[in-house]
Amino acid sequence: MMTSSPTRRAVRSATAEADRWTFRAERVTKVYPNGVRANDEISLHVEPGEVYGLLGPNGAGKTTLVKQVIGLLKPTSGSITFGPHDLVADPGAARQLCSYLPQAQLPIDSFRAREAIVLCGRIRGGDPVAVERRADELIEVLDLGEWRNKRGIALSGGVKRLVGFAMVTVCPGRAVILDEPTNDVDPLRRRFLWQQIRELGNLGVAVFLVTHNVLEAEKAVDRMAVIADGRLLAEGTPSSMKAEDRGHLRLQLMLAPGMGTPALPPLVKGSTRVGHNLVTVIDEGDAGHAIRWAEELMGAGVAEEYALGATSLEDAYVRLTGHGSRDDEGGAD
Amino acid sequence: MAVAIAPPTSPSVPSLAVARAGPRYWLHGYWQMFVWDLVNLRRYLPILGSILSLQGAGLVLGIGLFFRHIPESAAIYLVTGVPVLSLLTVGLIFEPQIVADQRAEGSYEFVRSLPVPRSMMTMAWYTVSLIPALPAMVIALLVGMARYHFHLDITPSVVPAVLATSFTGMLMGYALAHGITNPMTTRQVSGMLVFVLFGFSPVMFPATQLPHWLAEVNLWLPFESMATIIRDALVKGMVTGVGRAYLVLGAWALVSGLVTARVVGHRR
Repeated sequence: MMTSSPTRRAVRSATAEADRWTFRAERVTKVYPNGVRANDEISLHVEPGEVYGLLGPNGAGKTTLVKQVIGLLKPTSGSITFGPHDLVADPGAARQLCSYLPQAQLPIDSFRAREAIVLCGRIRGGDPVAVERRADELIEVLDLGEWRNKRGIALSGGVKRLVGFAMVTVCPGRAVILDEPTNDVDPLRRRFLWQQIRELGNLGVAVFLVTHNVLEAEKAVDRMAVIADGRLLAEGTPSSMKAEDRGHLRLQLMLAPGMGTPALPPLVKGSTRVGHNLVTVIDEGDAGHAIRWAEELMGAGVAEEYALGATSLEDAYVRLTGHGSRDDEGGAD
Repeated sequence: MAVAIAPPTSPSVPSLAVARAGPRYWLHGYWQMFVWDLVNLRRYLPILGSILSLQGAGLVLGIGLFFRHIPESAAIYLVTGVPVLSLLTVGLIFEPQIVADQRAEGSYEFVRSLPVPRSMMTMAWYTVSLIPALPAMVIALLVGMARYHFHLDITPSVVPAVLATSFTGMLMGYALAHGITNPMTTRQVSGMLVFVLFGFSPVMFPATQLPHWLAEVNLWLPFESMATIIRDALVKGMVTGVGRAYLVLGAWALVSGLVTARVVGHRR
């Protein structure tokens, strides 16, 4: 008689667990009563342990999509399932299975930081001892010790954001939905935050990361979807998204104040202007010509400086959406 | 890259969520939301309690100053009407304003995303709303008795009367708070209710003092009925139509409850 080894059994069990908790959105469409089609037949799936980015410009429909996942909005058509649960038919299950950090700050003015984290863990049904211990652990790893007993009203926006993150992850749902989690957070603690997001994935949590910060998302996500005007434009790993830009370089020109966009030579394959920044894409073989063009522009006083480098996910994002991605972009989706 | 993961091994990481159900889950949700609301309002509850107490005592004493000699029956009417205002202020007036603030600052959806049954959220809020209201009600009665030298004949029916009054008021406020999505409109409507309640409802004075048509309207509004059942529980034989008042109040509670269930569970 053949017997399977404990390791094989463990792997099989883990795989079965993962299969059991696949998140699926199928042709999700949301049309608001005012006729705005915020989501248009969006289909995607997310596996347990995956950090999945939802990228898109403001108003793309990202937040509308996650609000349907969490049961705050109802799709006009389409289905959303999470493992054995139909989240559209059972929004109560959606709230239990998914933790949600909205874009706005959480209402914790009266709460002490640690108290808010612990209470959220208890509301989510966590064991009291485990919740207390995990709250202390999160305070430690997010470097929040200084504020652990401070009331929310006394916290800065960034610290409040981190406390909010700890509140929704102290006893995480099977899915954790983070809408712009790094807003207002300082660069050092952003790194801690990203580490914890990765840790959530390691625990088997499906993490939905809603952002328009492509540069940060590139480092953090396993797979991503680019959404614009309510439609899913592309989906894949960051590498696969960049594949179309292989063999290209990015020439970035800082234009002098008051200057219009200069005439683009044929070597420029694509361009986007955000403020004084003109970002162009060129073939690798045209690098020499491109540098000469950039230096001519500087000589003529049209540009103040330029930089030539490898294309990034941002270029793919710009190509897909026609929007730039900037850290300081804000606003509701 | 999808990763197949075994259950968490770290002792400090609580198990990943499962969809729970049943009475234990409901009670847990009720208790945790009660604690959440209590902590959320802890800076305001003492102030709110003080304001309600001052409001009650102020009305009892202040209105008496209009008269050199206030008849005992009028004094009793006044004093036994004030508890209705104490019981309604938090649920009917403040709750819509708190929700309007949450909507305006964007935190409303976080609270709605918490994994607690909506009905338990409502009950938790109801319990918290009683905390500043009950002492204020008692203080108003004690001040009234001391000022006007009469005794109340408090019967056990004070319990259902107080609960029915405060519960109906809370449900009405809850329906209003969650049904109106524009925070400014919510504030305006709750502000208007203050005037209706204080100025045009026969709570601290008999309906006979009102124009006939307004007295007729009030027969079908909840506030006079609230005053009737509270008064009946505090003073023997002062009012009639208690059964009808309970029916009117029950109808308002039922309609408000249905509207609340609809708007709180509604997904646009």
